[in-house]
Amino acid sequence: MIKTKNIEKTYKKPSVTTPVLRGITLSIHRGEYVAIMGTSGSGKSTLMNILGCLDKPTSGQLELDGTDVYTLDDDALSALRNKKIGFVFQQFFLLERTTALENVLLPLIYADNYPADAKQRAKKALTNVGLEDRMEYLANELSGGQQQRVAIARALINDPDVILADEPTGNLDSGSTHEVLEIFSRLHQEGRTIIVVTHDRAVAEHAQRILELKEGQIIENTTSSKPENSGNH
Amino acid sequence: MVIGVAAVIVMVSMGRGAQKRILDMIHDMGTNLIVVNAGRVSLVGGRERQSAIVTTLRPGDAEAIQDHCASVAEVAPETSRKMNIQWESENLMTDVVGVTPAAFRVRNIEIETGRTFDSVENDTARRVVLVGSVIVEKLFDSEDPVGHQIRIGRAPFEVVGVMKAKGVDANGVDRDDRVLIPIKTAMRRLVRTTYIQKIHILVAKFEQLQHAETEIRELLRERHRLRDKPDDFTIQNQASLVQTERESARTLTLLVGSVAAVSLLVGGIGILAVMLTACRERRREIGLRRAIGARRRDIRTQFLLESLIIAGLGGFFGAVLGVLSTFLASTLGGWNAIVSWGATGAGLTLSAIIGLIFGIYPASKAAALEPIEALRSE
Repeated sequence: MIKTKNIEKTYKKPSVTTPVLRGITLSIHRGEYVAIMGTSGSGKSTLMNILGCLDKPTSGQLELDGTDVYTLDDDALSALRNKKIGFVFQQFFLLERTTALENVLLPLIYADNYPADAKQRAKKALTNVGLEDRMEYLANELSGGQQQRVAIARALINDPDVILADEPTGNLDSGSTHEVLEIFSRLHQEGRTIIVVTHDRAVAEHAQRILELKEGQIIENTTSSKPENSGNH
Repeated sequence: MVIGVAAVIVMVSMGRGAQKRILDMIHDMGTNLIVVNAGRVSLVGGRERQSAIVTTLRPGDAEAIQDHCASVAEVAPETSRKMNIQWESENLMTDVVGVTPAAFRVRNIEIETGRTFDSVENDTARRVVLVGSVIVEKLFDSEDPVGHQIRIGRAPFEVVGVMKAKGVDANGVDRDDRVLIPIKTAMRRLVRTTYIQKIHILVAKFEQLQHAETEIRELLRERHRLRDKPDDFTIQNQASLVQTERESARTLTLLVGSVAAVSLLVGGIGILAVMLTACRERRREIGLRRAIGARRRDIRTQFLLESLIIAGLGGFFGAVLGVLSTFLASTLGGWNAIVSWGATGAGLTLSAIIGLIFGIYPASKAAALEPIEALRSE
């Protein structure tokens, strides 16, 4: 489903060249729940952005669902992100003074065809994350946990192949963290592919597989034996 | 932006008003008119300013023009002074104008009620008066004044007629705020002068206008014994009067036009600033939109639309302001202005175009942001 080959990324400044990723080769299968773990500076966020087609590596290849991503032009990349990837960010990135429903509808505006049942789909997605009674609330009227759940509903609206979550619980209290992780587990059980980037081992433990990153390289690739995660394959 | 569009509308409306007034003027004065003024008349801000009192223009000059210039059909000398007039207990200051009966034909003065005075009444210096419509309104409370006695200064006069309303002339003088009396009555009994201020001359044929002007100038120079001194009078014909009017319209257009240009430019720069700020403050929103599938051109379109909307709103309020102030200028200010819907449309279009032009740079800047950098920014 997602394959990378020898991804390298270096940031060049006039004086220093900083390597961030040094040869990442990995493959993630459909329906997997993967955590990318590492301390800050390990390159995990850069990897996440590359997997999400937001950033390009200095060298290497990325294959998404059989497509060689780096042969696509900018517009095609936008369309790819729109259709195949659902993003969940640490800072939620909702439009303020805009209702939860409208925030969830946003990706559909940029889809090729705006579906006739868009509203129903958005409502369903919000119900799916337990916010059926908050649909008309403005984003800035919601709590952090609720905002993140709106962001998850937004990530789900286009029925993406993979959900990419970058420190999704980084700004949440423990109660909300629990709720969000619960939703991820449920989505995984429904057969979705989920990639979570985190520095928190407790969060990573919820995943099926943990990729640990250090200084731009994968140093560990462990598969958890949690019983609730093994049922779908 | 608001002021710019308003100014465009006011400008065009005033311009149209001025044009209409020029046509009206030609219509109600006829094209064959020459006016001789005593002294030099200069144009200040498009309006006539008569310099000091000049006493050399005399009734005899008018008679001489009538007798010696072949191209001249009719001559109407005039003298005027601001004086107090009184009816019962009402007083007001107005222009008291002494004319000969020829003035009614030469100056196209028509009678609303009553009659004019004749040359016998002029020659015998009778105390008869024709009043303008403003006088009827202010002094007589809009009652028919014919047959009443009024006082001009301290002398009693009989109102014999009311003149038809003519409105404001090219120099901003209300031609209805005046009374007409026989010129001989004025000179002998009221102002007690031997000189006059103006002679209106009707030329027989339009083609002879230039010729008549030369004839009159030569005659007056000779009669005034000027030799190598400059003219102590000013001759204006219809063309130069129209020129006066054009001049004032042009001054106004230039003034309002530059206000419009400057404020449209300022408006454009304002939009540029607002959109650049928006582009900077909303980097994360741009990043998010790009992440969830917006193409560069979607971002560009969004920002262009936003600046278009801002400019459009500015233009809309400007249009409202412009139409309103044109309306006020014509009703309260006495300006001759006709609301131009074409200009209103043009103003709106112009502000939309400015919105687009000044929106292009910020929109392209927003569209050029790399999604990852936009998301990372604080």
